Amino acid sequence: MAVTKDDVEAALTSSLNPSHLQVIDTSRGCGASFELEIVSEKFEGKRLLERHRLVNAALAEQMPHIHALSIKKALPPSQSPARS
Amino acid sequence: MAATVHLTGFRAFHLPAHTSSSPQPKTLAPASTSFSSYSPEAPSLRSIPGGRGPRRRQKGFRGSFLAASVLKISDAELVLIPSEGSGEIEGLLPPVAGVYGVYDKNEELQFIGISRNIAASIMAHRKSVQDLCWSVKVGLVDGENPDKTVLTDAWKSWMEEHLAATGKIPPGNQSENNTWVRRPHKKPDLRLTPGRHVQLAVPLEQLIDKLVKENEVVAFIKGSRTAPQCGFSQRVVGILESHGVDFECVDVLDEEHNSGLRETLKSYSNWPTFPQVFVRGELLGGCDIISSMAEKGELAAFFKK
Repeated sequence: MAVTKDDVEAALTSSLNPSHLQVIDTSRGCGASFELEIVSEKFEGKRLLERHRLVNAALAEQMPHIHALSIKKALPPSQSPARS
Repeated sequence: MAATVHLTGFRAFHLPAHTSSSPQPKTLAPASTSFSSYSPEAPSLRSIPGGRGPRRRQKGFRGSFLAASVLKISDAELVLIPSEGSGEIEGLLPPVAGVYGVYDKNEELQFIGISRNIAASIMAHRKSVQDLCWSVKVGLVDGENPDKTVLTDAWKSWMEEHLAATGKIPPGNQSENNTWVRRPHKKPDLRLTPGRHVQLAVPLEQLIDKLVKENEVVAFIKGSRTAPQCGFSQRVVGILESHGVDFECVDVLDEEHNSGLRETLKSYSNWPTFPQVFVRGELLGGCDIISSMAEKGELAAFFKK
């Protein structure tokens, strides 16, 4: 099963309700490598490791098929430079 | 050459900058790799990739050519090394390849080395062993970028000449002496089990638990510390090294000694990917977290604690 950018976005949106989400497919098409930035209220008050864990948990279903996931940013809205 | 002494096992190659093509990984840590050195007989020097078939035939020619072109140590001029702060080495010494001998205050030869940038090597020696760096003799080797064997031969000829004249090997070139040539003191990777054939008495989780609690910092990576097999692991090793962190490495791809570790560790740490860095028994994070902490300067503060 190849994972698409849409799959990743859908999974993250449904479980983390992000106010900002950017997913970049860095795999050149094979769907195995992504970079992402995410801002969500669910990250408020959580350590970086816990925030990454939330992202990983949200993608639990896709994870076995993703070779590399690079979480560039996982911030609560209060720490996000571009508040929306 | 008349001398029959075997000079293998002594160390001479001093690389002021990271110019080697040995299989050492590229790292993000200029500080930790800017000063590497190894024996002229080390296997890494022989196994330079690329076709070098024709070279072999030229070796005899090169050797005799070299004997004529490199100054004898007894003919080389002794140049005073300015002490740190009082003068620049640039201008006094050439920034090119060759063999050099460093003398102490009493004009005792302390160390014979070879380098691709003599000035930089002397500068590094002056910094690390100022007391023994009084003056230096230099024999240049021809060519822009001479072959390592040419440099090694030049080194051998100086060593043999000195040995024939004094009967002594310079103290800095003796194999147990680490004053002049620092061996890359890389720790061996940790292993969870003695081997696949050994029946484990305790579950793997318990071994992992013990390992991360007994060691301050443990990095579980793909590949070995010296040759990480994945870019993320390589980056983490580089970051930890550049922060001067004393850490242990475990190769999760080592099926012989760490069989089953990948799957077990993922569930132990509830973390899906590698590398994983544990500090004092707790997962600090993977590559993204370590990188981001390093960028923000948090990592340095974290390890100071």
